[in-house]
Amino acid sequence: MPLTQDEVEEIRKILGREPTVEELAMFEAQWSEHCSYKSSRLLLKLLPTEGMHVVVGPGRDAPAVRLFKDFAIVFKIESHNHPSAVDPYDGAATGIGGIVRDILTLGAKPVALLDMLYMGEPWDPHANWLIRGIVKGISDYGNRIGVPTVAGDTWFDYAFNTQPLVNVACVGIVPLNRLVLGSIRPGDYIIIMGNATGRDGLLGSSFASKPLAEDTDKEIGAVQVGDPLTEKLLIDALQILVSRRLVKYIKDLGGGGLTTAISETCADHGLGAAIELEKLHIRQKLTPLELLVSESQERMLVVVEPVKLSEVEEILRNYDVMYSVIGRFTEDGVIKVFCNGVKVAEVPAKELARPRAVRRVSHPPAEALKGLKPLYSLPPEPSYEEALTKLLSSPNIASKRWIYEQYDHEVGVRTVVKPGLGDAAVLRLLDGSSRGFAIKGDANPRYTSIDPFNGAANSVAECFRNLVAVGAKPIAIVDELNAGNPEKPEHFWYFEMMLKGLAWMAEELRLPVVGGKVSFYNEDHRGRQVKPTTTIVGVGRVKDVSRAVTMDLKESDSVIAVVGVTYPELGGSEYLYKVFGLEEGEIPRPRPASELRNAKLILKAVELGLVNAVHDISVGGFAVALAEMAILGNLGVEVDLDLVHARGVMRLDELLFSETQARYVVEVKSNRVEEFKRLAQRMGVCISLAGRVLDKPVLILLKGSKTILSADLGLLRDSYNSLEKAIEGGA
Amino acid sequence: MSTHLVEVIITSKAGVRDPEGETIHKHLILKKGYSAITSVRTGKYLLMTVNTNSAEEALKIVKEACEKLRIYNPIVHDIEVRLRA
Amino acid sequence: MPKIAIVKFPGTNCDEDVKHVLVNVVGLEAEIVWYKEFSVNKWDAIILPGGFSYGDWLRAGAIAARTQAVDELVEARDRGVPVLGICNGFQILVEAGLLPGALLYNDVGRFVCKWIRTVVERPRGPWLALVRDGQVLDMPVAHAEGRYYVDEETYISTLLKSPVLKYLQGFNPNGSIHNVAGVGSEDGVVFGLMPHPERASEELLVPRGFSPGGRVIFESIAHSLKRGW
Repeated sequence: MPLTQDEVEEIRKILGREPTVEELAMFEAQWSEHCSYKSSRLLLKLLPTEGMHVVVGPGRDAPAVRLFKDFAIVFKIESHNHPSAVDPYDGAATGIGGIVRDILTLGAKPVALLDMLYMGEPWDPHANWLIRGIVKGISDYGNRIGVPTVAGDTWFDYAFNTQPLVNVACVGIVPLNRLVLGSIRPGDYIIIMGNATGRDGLLGSSFASKPLAEDTDKEIGAVQVGDPLTEKLLIDALQILVSRRLVKYIKDLGGGGLTTAISETCADHGLGAAIELEKLHIRQKLTPLELLVSESQERMLVVVEPVKLSEVEEILRNYDVMYSVIGRFTEDGVIKVFCNGVKVAEVPAKELARPRAVRRVSHPPAEALKGLKPLYSLPPEPSYEEALTKLLSSPNIASKRWIYEQYDHEVGVRTVVKPGLGDAAVLRLLDGSSRGFAIKGDANPRYTSIDPFNGAANSVAECFRNLVAVGAKPIAIVDELNAGNPEKPEHFWYFEMMLKGLAWMAEELRLPVVGGKVSFYNEDHRGRQVKPTTTIVGVGRVKDVSRAVTMDLKESDSVIAVVGVTYPELGGSEYLYKVFGLEEGEIPRPRPASELRNAKLILKAVELGLVNAVHDISVGGFAVALAEMAILGNLGVEVDLDLVHARGVMRLDELLFSETQARYVVEVKSNRVEEFKRLAQRMGVCISLAGRVLDKPVLILLKGSKTILSADLGLLRDSYNSLEKAIEGGA
Repeated sequence: MSTHLVEVIITSKAGVRDPEGETIHKHLILKKGYSAITSVRTGKYLLMTVNTNSAEEALKIVKEACEKLRIYNPIVHDIEVRLRA
Repeated sequence: MPKIAIVKFPGTNCDEDVKHVLVNVVGLEAEIVWYKEFSVNKWDAIILPGGFSYGDWLRAGAIAARTQAVDELVEARDRGVPVLGICNGFQILVEAGLLPGALLYNDVGRFVCKWIRTVVERPRGPWLALVRDGQVLDMPVAHAEGRYYVDEETYISTLLKSPVLKYLQGFNPNGSIHNVAGVGSEDGVVFGLMPHPERASEELLVPRGFSPGGRVIFESIAHSLKRGW
């Protein structure tokens, strides 16, 4: 996105003269929305970012949180929405590459990837092409770099048919005393390692900071091809450099390329730099301007003190990593760029790195009212079995096996709870102890499009519950806000409300938001925003991974308990959309107090070994959660709905399919039921002992003595496993 | 009606990187001393058997299918459609 | 104490996993050796672990198979040093001609990561010393090019005389001919397999309904290096 007239004027003031073309390009790259957060920075201050465990908060390429007293976890989320819409395979692949490099900058070892994909409907031919390309891109890149893709989130929706949201996250672990925090001094060397710089991806960040053009076929300049082999070599070489304490600081060359990496590093340390561009290793002959802003992938900046330079060079050569020493840091706070002895740019680092923030106009559109409208006259109730089958086969609920089986989710031998079986993935540290962590990503684009404040709050809550359900104590989150055009007040309102909902719920649940990203301009070619979406990735602490809990039912005769109260909250539900075609109504209320209380019970019950299985209730409601547990455990279940605590419920479908927050389904061991009951009582948590596990493959719902639904588990499983057919037999 | 063999060759556009080709060139060809070979580009080859009245029609149908079914991505790929000699 | 080399190429990614199992689970001494620094005469056994050497480009294993390190494996084989190739390591051994056959793209047309069940036929040699004929081993696979192919003549003349690992009926994830999941030299000193035994060596990592079938392979080499085979 070109600089505005005001911005050019400001640059003149900063420099006290006319800028050179190179300088203009540097400002354009650095001041793009993608790199500078100029539209969002003022509002982002609302987020709670501090906490006991936070070691590195927002500001660096990635944050770090203390997981145990001697171990930190580094995790971060990123979007690659625009590149993936144009070239789904390479767009998604390079998204993985970028997020992994962010994790490397603190010296951490990347041990897990997540992908949160909000895509079109599998039966739409263009969306189907995008879905296959995106998943294959992540598969080919993630698998090749040897980092397991262990969890994620998906949503299939017509709103994303041409503009998908591809959000990816990476998790790294590092002993606390190995964190690379940086203490650069003037005279230290600047090394660029990894791929040679080329013309690929010129001004890609500016590309991500504007809506897709009608004829995207012409956007060739911004398409980048991933090179996972080079990325893997970077990962391995950095592990060696960090373990031998040879580098002082690491930074990714991402959006804005060399310009952003150098200006931010200088600005953060109050330093300047002298750069000799002709020393940069290149793929093809480029102008100084192109060298400064090229976003060629798989490149990183490392800072090395003079006495260690030769050792670093030897390691890079031995491990087949290309590199060049392009300059040194200076005291004066000014970035001077030379090419073959000719000065092409001279810019103060601080002013370049931080453009003035913009407070955008925000205004609710008329459409926003649909989230305030109570549902008072629903169509008559359908057959429950038909409704349940429809929901289980909905791509938003069905098993994601077609996706996660294409990912190596086991490399690293850390994955204890694997995809498809738990509400979150659980990994061990593999340090000789039984310690580990849980990780999960969540969003509900329908909620945030109907009610951005409460929808975003619910994303935080769902992520929180998913971590709790496997027995992990949630400790921190990162967020990705996918929004429309910030220059349009009716788009910006959604961004503002999502941010406020996220800030509120994170504070209530005591989860610091340690990092995040903002993606604007998610519009289709007609200028309509796609469903604004708040994606949350959270980590939880697991003291003993061998006690982590999955959701599959384990043994017959154990007892089914529902934790939490059910309210008539069908607004924005999958049921309402799949069965009646409605996307409206008040979405489920966020219930932070209940979330905290109920989570405490679950964690205690897991710790005491009272439960065999836990599953949080989310999309699809109670009936779907129960069916999933039965299908995965291959054990039947019988529940009396009269025993399930509910308030204000007038119809059975409200009980079965409401997506009321703060609820779980729990399989309690048959000989520990009394203990579980007493524990709940003591903690003031409402539980309903409503059924039991059967040893025959059938799901039975009763209302007192009356059978409401009796479905064969095999048939339900067929519906649940129908995603592969929807995609492979799709277009 | 007669049978025509139509070849489809998909390669990356000139400005688009090809890490596979680069790796084959750097780590195999140059390492084993074939320095006369100065670059390698990879691609995908499809051979289609087409029943049409004429060769021109066969080419037309294949071209159309490649466009409409996104057998290649016009944003990153070049495509060559030709009759097999 | 016998020492095992785990050879690492650019793109190898299961080296640390194999080392973890060798050292922490079965108590052997093992070292990860960068391909440039590998030389055959220092080691009592050699493992080529999984991953994507050279990005899996050209064909999986094809570029690594033309390196000096793999040239030296021929010497290792001739001297009777046990060699094991896991996943990409198996692909390298096949590409190098140290084991018969070829590994083609999966018949499902995509990468597959899941747990499967295999059975061992004619266990022989250092890697299968503790395995019974017909023993069932559960392990996960994670590959895109794992469809084993060999012509019928070679199958009869070679594979039927060698130790072979086969997917059990209903567990073939890739369309391998005769359900072949792994194959050894006739004496079993060189062995290669697509499934990952290092991911199936600890109870903690095994999903419900399966058992840790990979461990016996590492226990076998520990046993063989101490007592012969």
